[in-house]
Amino acid sequence: MTELALAGNRLAGTLGLVRAYLSATAGIVRRDAVIRASYRGTLLSTLVSVIFGLATFYFVSKLVRVPPFNSPGDYFAFTVVGIVVFGLMQSSLSIPSNLRQELVAGTYERLVLSPFGSTAATVALMVFPILFALTMALVELGVAVVVFGLHVEWDTAALALPLGVAGAFAFAPVALVFAAITLAFKQAPGQNAALAVFALASGLYFPVALLPWWLHWISEIQPYTPTVALLRHVLIGFPLPLGMSIAGAVAKIAAFIVIGIPIGVLLVSIAGRYGRRHGTIIEY
Amino acid sequence: MTIDAAAPFARVASAELRAADDLLVLHGIRKRWGKSPVLEGVDLFVARGALVSISGANGTGKTTLLRIAAGLIHPDSGEVALDGLHPERDRRAFLGRLGFLSAGDRTLYARLSPRRHLDLGARLGLLPAGNRVAAIERALGVFALDDFADRRVDRLSMGQRQRVRLAMTFVHDPALILLDEPANSLDQEGLDVLASYLEQLRSRGGAAIWCGPTGVAMPMASDTALRLAEGRLRPE
Repeated sequence: MTELALAGNRLAGTLGLVRAYLSATAGIVRRDAVIRASYRGTLLSTLVSVIFGLATFYFVSKLVRVPPFNSPGDYFAFTVVGIVVFGLMQSSLSIPSNLRQELVAGTYERLVLSPFGSTAATVALMVFPILFALTMALVELGVAVVVFGLHVEWDTAALALPLGVAGAFAFAPVALVFAAITLAFKQAPGQNAALAVFALASGLYFPVALLPWWLHWISEIQPYTPTVALLRHVLIGFPLPLGMSIAGAVAKIAAFIVIGIPIGVLLVSIAGRYGRRHGTIIEY
Repeated sequence: MTIDAAAPFARVASAELRAADDLLVLHGIRKRWGKSPVLEGVDLFVARGALVSISGANGTGKTTLLRIAAGLIHPDSGEVALDGLHPERDRRAFLGRLGFLSAGDRTLYARLSPRRHLDLGARLGLLPAGNRVAAIERALGVFALDDFADRRVDRLSMGQRQRVRLAMTFVHDPALILLDEPANSLDQEGLDVLASYLEQLRSRGGAAIWCGPTGVAMPMASDTALRLAEGRLRPE
């Protein structure tokens, strides 16, 4: 067989494997979607909580008449984007809890013992929650526009979709780190604290400039601050924080994706081996 | 490599020494949980076409042994190889040749149907799209799941759920099947179906290990019957 034919065979094999991995990922996404859809009451209550959550901030915003907000509507628009990003943060950081549920239920064992493998399966477990959170983000924005009269910059609003997807990917490394901790030690107790700290430091409900100087560094070292700032910029025309440029914010998000995801996947892989060595993967 | 000559009974298919083409090799397996030793130098060489039964009292380490054989946990020391493949270095190929049924009634999703379970199992087994539907239909047929293939699992009886778990174990057509208390909740028809499938597996060069508590008989004859006690395998 010629070298060209051998190379062709190798390429076909690799493509076949990529297709099989994508198909397995699709299988996990479909599994999660079917299970989520089967709990219709939960879906309904999620929608109701979206409306009431927005209503709370709509009325709180009536009290806000301070710079940099020119009107209560400005503050409402500011917080709507914060709420949307919080949903994405919450859903990405819920993955370690979902993973623990799988471990407790024994269903993770099936994933670990499949050729797809525990590392790929852990990454695949993130896909549905993120897709669901992105869908809910669109619903929240739609409710905010239709019911509460949110003013949207339609000229640039379409950019919010790729930005939201990129933001969701940029949040993944943090989730993968907590997933790795869960695999190795059966729990990741810091994830709720991390959610609270990141929500505070990324300025979801108030401008980061209001934070004390000694907390600013937390705003700088995570992907949530540039994501929420860019989303506000393209959705409602809110200016970027002082010192932040569009290129700089995009570069930071890209760095979290390009550097953070491989590191997160590596940590999950190491944690999987540790779990198999120490038995933490089966002790439930 | 030296073979523990004191334990030739662990050799399956009559030869005392390890054969070059053994499907499963477990050699010198030791495992302890904390300070308690569970397995203390287990040797087991499973030939192609073999059916091995392992019994033992509760807590003697049968499940730990199967989990080590499956690559789910690592031994503290010793060698594991399936078809010459290492459970970590060759993990994807190793797991592609393995079917594992855990004890109990877990590993199912209450809101998914048997067909959806098998579809997921086939995808996780990295079966090519062209083979998937046929594999699913075959598993549904072999384990007599057709009548409730699209019913949610939480609406099935425990015996029907066990058949779904078995079908998931076999759907990607593995060479070695590890069964931990597979008779759990199965009626006679279910046991017959399982026995028939294991015969088919043996006839095409596959092998199986059936673990169960002492006193619970397998529904078919095994080639080698072993008992796990005090961390070692002994003849039944």
